[in-house]
Amino acid sequence: MGYALQTLFHERQRYLPGVLAVAFSGVLIALQCGLLIGLFSITSLPIDHTRADLWVGSPQVLSVDLGRPVPEKFLSRLASIPGVEPPEFYNQAFANWTKPNGGSDLCMVVGSRLEEDALGAVSELTPELREKLTEPNGIIIDESELDRLGVKGVGDTAEINKQKVRIVGLVKDVKSLAGPYVFCSLETSRNLIAIVLPKHHSTYILAKCKNPADVERIASELRELYPDDMSVFTSEKFSIRSRMHWLTKTKAGVALGYAALLGLLVGMVVTSQTLYAATMASAREYAILLALGIPRWRVSWAVLVQSFWVGLFGIVVSIPTSFALGELASLGGIKVRLPEWLLGGTAIITLGMAVLSGLWALRSVRQIEPVNLLR
Amino acid sequence: MSEDKPTMRGIHVSKSFGDGTGRTTPLRDVTLELHRGQLAVLMGPSGSGKSTLLAILSGLLEPDAGQVLVMDDGVERNIWNMTRAEREDYRLRQAGFIFQGYNLFPSLTARQQLEIVLRWGVGTPVREARKRADEILSLLGLGNKGHMFPAQMSGGEKQRVAIGRALIKNPKFCFADEPTSALDWAYGEQVIELLRAAAHERGATILVVSHDNRILPYVDVSYHLNEGRLVMDEATTGSHAGIEAESWRSTP
Repeated sequence: MGYALQTLFHERQRYLPGVLAVAFSGVLIALQCGLLIGLFSITSLPIDHTRADLWVGSPQVLSVDLGRPVPEKFLSRLASIPGVEPPEFYNQAFANWTKPNGGSDLCMVVGSRLEEDALGAVSELTPELREKLTEPNGIIIDESELDRLGVKGVGDTAEINKQKVRIVGLVKDVKSLAGPYVFCSLETSRNLIAIVLPKHHSTYILAKCKNPADVERIASELRELYPDDMSVFTSEKFSIRSRMHWLTKTKAGVALGYAALLGLLVGMVVTSQTLYAATMASAREYAILLALGIPRWRVSWAVLVQSFWVGLFGIVVSIPTSFALGELASLGGIKVRLPEWLLGGTAIITLGMAVLSGLWALRSVRQIEPVNLLR
Repeated sequence: MSEDKPTMRGIHVSKSFGDGTGRTTPLRDVTLELHRGQLAVLMGPSGSGKSTLLAILSGLLEPDAGQVLVMDDGVERNIWNMTRAEREDYRLRQAGFIFQGYNLFPSLTARQQLEIVLRWGVGTPVREARKRADEILSLLGLGNKGHMFPAQMSGGEKQRVAIGRALIKNPKFCFADEPTSALDWAYGEQVIELLRAAAHERGATILVVSHDNRILPYVDVSYHLNEGRLVMDEATTGSHAGIEAESWRSTP
């Protein structure tokens, strides 16, 4: 292994294309996946930015934004379970936004309790903002969505499902995927989405457990007790479920995955060619070793070890590069998330790719014949 | 200097290349014997088949006809009846090679060029391989240059490292293809003297292919190959026999 590393260092210009190719593949995979994760984490924002431990919704609900109404009487089902703090209602549904100057767009109405201990109010709603939402039909939106919704700021009015609403406040960094989030009180939401929300129904019922360690157990208990007419999720699982639904159902995941695969193939070709060329550059030296009786597999092993080191150095270059480019993306408002498991998975894949490139480059070793030294 | 029993015999060796009108036959029914402790040279015009014969005798190129018999641990064996793996093993134990180009790994030091043969060939532990490499380098007058890379060495030094690589296994046979032609004669003379010492002091059988007449005074026997036929030149046998081989400690 020492000779391989020494060779890599000594002839670093020769091996640089391979290292950069591995780094390129690694960065591409990490950023593509990081973009996906960042993108679809938006869909689970109402779960991730709120305090509830348990989400009770319609049977087999696929994602937090696709809930159908459940009877409010289900509240007592949660309230009756020991260890569960008082549950509350929560509404979320798509609605039609009519701009002041005409034209319409889609929006996502999110209605919750506004008290200090509310489970369904996102953390971005400060006590001051929640106070403002007590105004009937008062709404709060993300400031980056003002243009899209055709409004200028606080005080402007519009219509949601033909009901007049007034902007009472703005928040930041609460972006959405399909339609801008419109935060309001529970009462306001009942007015705005009455068209899809029958009386005495809500989209979800939320609850918090007295002991966090009981969350999973209580969720299972509720599922066993009421298997047919409602679904029960822990917030963690519902968050993953919502994100995975968007990841798999939309073609965005497939498209980005395809791009990542292409990047991997390009990386593999370049790395393999680099190793092939480097081996052939030393073909005469290797030929002498073969003439001296050193087994061919020993030379092949040296090439594979070189491919491992090329992969490792490529990964070392790709990690800070991925972070740097991720930061750059966030400056442009694009969220890129690079969790440890993603970086670890990327490292394994790109290292595997480098070693595969080494195997492919072994065709160079097969071409080395000592007798050619005498011609 | 040499014993009577031959260590290597090529018997009725023939080799052709190509087909039809393009067919060439560099070797026609060639027979020769080499002995222990003998420095032999194979000469002939360019394209006369010298390197082809060297390749066949050293187990790198299969002849069309004939045998190559070698003494291997007291037993005479035809290397072209061996399997590929057996031939490889035979070369590992018995054969050293020196070629016209030094063919040293640009990224390894002089010491490492020799170590690698032992470490990769027979799995010698690194410490022992290093010790033996340093011993050989000292004998070659390169004791203080073990840390140097090929780019830092002269042509003569590089060829001496190549010789060290060929001889570090203490092989019974050493095959050298034009070892002096890329060098000034000052260096070339050193190389031939080293090979001669390797033959006489270590008992190796050394066959050199060369077109350089200046090495003739140093060899024990010379063969001449022309139009596929081999002739031994009686006049040059042992012409330097009365001259003691210089010590391996040649001047750098």
